Amino acid sequence: MSRPKSDTASPRLPVRLPGAVAAGLWLLLLLTCLAVFALAARHSLEGLAPGFAGNYLAYGLLPRGGFALLGGAALGLAGALLQRTLRNPAADASTLGVGAGAQLALGAATLFAPTLIAEARSVVAFIGGGSALLLVLVLARNRNYDPVTMILCGLVVSLVCGALSATLILAGGDYMLSLYLWGGGALAQTGWRNDAVLIGLLVAAGLAAFLLRRPLALLGLSDETAKSLGVSTAAIRLAAVLVATILATTVTAFAGIIGFVGLMAANLARLSGARTPGTLLLAAPLVGAVLLFATDAVVLAIEAVAGTTVATGAVTALVGGPLLLWLLPRLPQRATVPMAVSFRRLAQPRAMLLWLAVLTFVAALVSLLLMPDGAGVLTDPAAIAALMPLRWPRLLAGASAGAMLAVAGVVLQRFTANPIASPEVLGISSGAGLGLAVLLVAVPFAGTGAMLLATGAGSLAALAAILVFARAARLGPERLLLGGIAVASLAGAGVTLVMARGGPEASRLLDWMSGSTLRVTSSLALAEAALAVLLLPLAVLAHRWLAVLSLGGVTSRSLGLSPTRAGGLLVTLAAILTAAATLAVGPLSFVGLMAPHLARSIGFARPKEQLFGAALLGAAIMIATDTAARSLAFPYQLPTGLFAALVGGPYLVAMLLRKPR
Amino acid sequence: MIGWPGHISRRALLAGLAASAVSPGAARAAASGRFAVVDWALLETVLALGLVPLAAPELILYRRLAVEPEIPDTVLDLGLRGALSFERLALLRPGVVYGSNYSAWAAPQIEAIAPFKTFQLFVPGEPPLDKIKAMTLALAEDFGIAGRGRSVVAGARAELATRRRRLASIGTRDVLLVDVGDANHVRVYGADSLFGETLAQLGLTNAWAGGTRYSAAAPVGIEALAAYPEAFLIVVGPVPSDAETEMRNGALWRALPSVAAGRFAVIAPCNAFGALPAALRLARLVTAALLAAEGRAPA
Repeated sequence: MSRPKSDTASPRLPVRLPGAVAAGLWLLLLLTCLAVFALAARHSLEGLAPGFAGNYLAYGLLPRGGFALLGGAALGLAGALLQRTLRNPAADASTLGVGAGAQLALGAATLFAPTLIAEARSVVAFIGGGSALLLVLVLARNRNYDPVTMILCGLVVSLVCGALSATLILAGGDYMLSLYLWGGGALAQTGWRNDAVLIGLLVAAGLAAFLLRRPLALLGLSDETAKSLGVSTAAIRLAAVLVATILATTVTAFAGIIGFVGLMAANLARLSGARTPGTLLLAAPLVGAVLLFATDAVVLAIEAVAGTTVATGAVTALVGGPLLLWLLPRLPQRATVPMAVSFRRLAQPRAMLLWLAVLTFVAALVSLLLMPDGAGVLTDPAAIAALMPLRWPRLLAGASAGAMLAVAGVVLQRFTANPIASPEVLGISSGAGLGLAVLLVAVPFAGTGAMLLATGAGSLAALAAILVFARAARLGPERLLLGGIAVASLAGAGVTLVMARGGPEASRLLDWMSGSTLRVTSSLALAEAALAVLLLPLAVLAHRWLAVLSLGGVTSRSLGLSPTRAGGLLVTLAAILTAAATLAVGPLSFVGLMAPHLARSIGFARPKEQLFGAALLGAAIMIATDTAARSLAFPYQLPTGLFAALVGGPYLVAMLLRKPR
Repeated sequence: MIGWPGHISRRALLAGLAASAVSPGAARAAASGRFAVVDWALLETVLALGLVPLAAPELILYRRLAVEPEIPDTVLDLGLRGALSFERLALLRPGVVYGSNYSAWAAPQIEAIAPFKTFQLFVPGEPPLDKIKAMTLALAEDFGIAGRGRSVVAGARAELATRRRRLASIGTRDVLLVDVGDANHVRVYGADSLFGETLAQLGLTNAWAGGTRYSAAAPVGIEALAAYPEAFLIVVGPVPSDAETEMRNGALWRALPSVAAGRFAVIAPCNAFGALPAALRLARLVTAALLAAEGRAPA
């Protein structure tokens, strides 16, 4: 078998175990977990009626154990195929948006086509997950399938899908217990049907992988070499990705999102000595099976002892997050197309800024005077007087938050030279969410003051983690994003774990995530405005740093600016701006992504102009979306933050699909 | 805020008209009939008292899940219970707004519009039925129809007693009341829930001995139901469609002792956080289900 000399799919690994030792260790882990599973099973069978205990073992516990093994194997194989095909060792169903896409499709079908979901659950999941993956790949194509960009796109697509799913839950009105549990990945079974489907699927997929192993080995070489050997790379890639997607979405359809199993399985298999594509395709499913079974055995033991439901899928993500953190700095870098430089440049940016200010003012006026159902303008002074005290706090808080997010976005995009950088993907807002989740678990009915403290502490902790990580890994500014991705994934898993408990804390967390400006009081609105007035000038003061830093590390050092220190300060500013904005509009608005881009494409080329332009645009976007969210389905209203994400997601897609000229 | 002359003069006028009311402010406004409710338990109660609010929340879902009492077409929708349309409420200028502890979050905004009265109805660990009766009487008092309030409470007591006598003739005593989250998980209504208390009023025993959490209902895996093999299992609708397939064909569902023995029924939707009308609806549905099952089973 021809072994490719340079294996582009492998990260630089410090250690490789001899295969036999590794296999022995995995076997030992499996046996230990079998014992844990058996003990937990015996414990949970004890309280049951003797007649039912046998049935529960046969139709509940054993299928669950089987599902853990089979599902783990399926995810492991999917991960290995994706990583090999995309030449990206961080590729996985959960890092590429497949899981979130499938979840969204299932949620939508549950609400709008309940018969479809009963008949063809896996098909619905496949369509959703496949579409999400396709989108991620199309987005990543413009940056030459650079692994980091691909994972970043996957995270953004996942966040948008998550926002849409949350909107569906809220719009559905009855608090969908199943969606909570499902989002966290629960392996409980009520029979052998799902296991049987997975066995069939694994046999078919295993056969396909066996047939693909040689062509896949050639993919390690450059496309030209492979072509000269008579292999159609496009067809092979398509086949492998298709098989992986079917495997991953079927597991998602049956058990929800089980994060990072494929990622862990393929990388640990590689660490354990599986070097050729053939052995990797065999070893990754085995490792995946052991990993998911081990996690579920521990979860089962916790459930048996504590008597509460724990989301297995979120636990795997908690274990997998640190691995991602370790893996990301080791990703191979691919020559990337730099951030599109061909944006036009305004001749008179000041005039345009004035226009934007007028636009924002008009938007605010319209928002204040529009009839509640948006069908016209209020003329009755009594009605205006009645609505004004409700409207101005929303308007002020939304506009301030929009401006702050926009400025945070400009800072991050300038500093990292990456067009997809934004507060949402930096992990700051996820950190705020985790802080809130921890508080609500401890004190379910905590007051607003405590919530502010918790979100603030969460964002700062996330920020500290990212900075420590960035320093330890000696990352350039572009790769600071990676720390953000990993922190976002970790914090997201923690939030899911709390959501899956389904208590009062879950519905309060959902409220916060949805970013409803409805509950903004006049004091919070004034506080937001004060923060904006206080923080935005700081960003403007730093505009020279942004200009210098975008010239590169060497140039900026020669100009007397330390990229590390300036970068640290800039990122801290972005984090504080984000945390403040998040209080009013939730963590998922994507205004921080949209506004800087719009400002850039309008022609604000210099950092100072872009900061002002983006701030105005961010405020205007927030005002417009808040007004629309409140009027479109009057008297039913969508949460503003989520509604903005629904606008921002498609914008992002449209923007990235444009080819850089 | 800017005062509007017409507003003030009308309030003054109404105050004059309702001079006979016992408690000032809220009672006077209530007597005028210009009031709104922001919680389903309150909505059910005012309708049962023969009153019609200006507006109430989430009417689309109410008509699907709570079903009765029927809402007159004149009642305007206030949007989601968790995202009330304060704008519509402000434009309606109600004299008073009623809510439960579940709507207390909206107090800052509602109090700026009208006096806001909330009743502590659903507190985990505390049975709600007595609080609901007290709320019914207090509401009737506010509207100057205390007699009507007493007769609604007495009527509910009498109806429950009649059903209790009817059920005394059958053997079933232990009941498990659940709703279905997904194919593997259910929420059980505990003794501190409205449904749990209603079962007790019917002379039935709520078999569930485990603790309850949020919503007075504990989310559990279905295997937990097997710990009560003698209980009659009643699923309160609606059942998600994929879970329904599993309930009919799934091996574990069919192996549940209650299901295997035919002590199993699915009843129509009912509002778990309702008031006396919801309790009576549940009592009627449960009684019908148990009697039907008894009718089919060999004596």
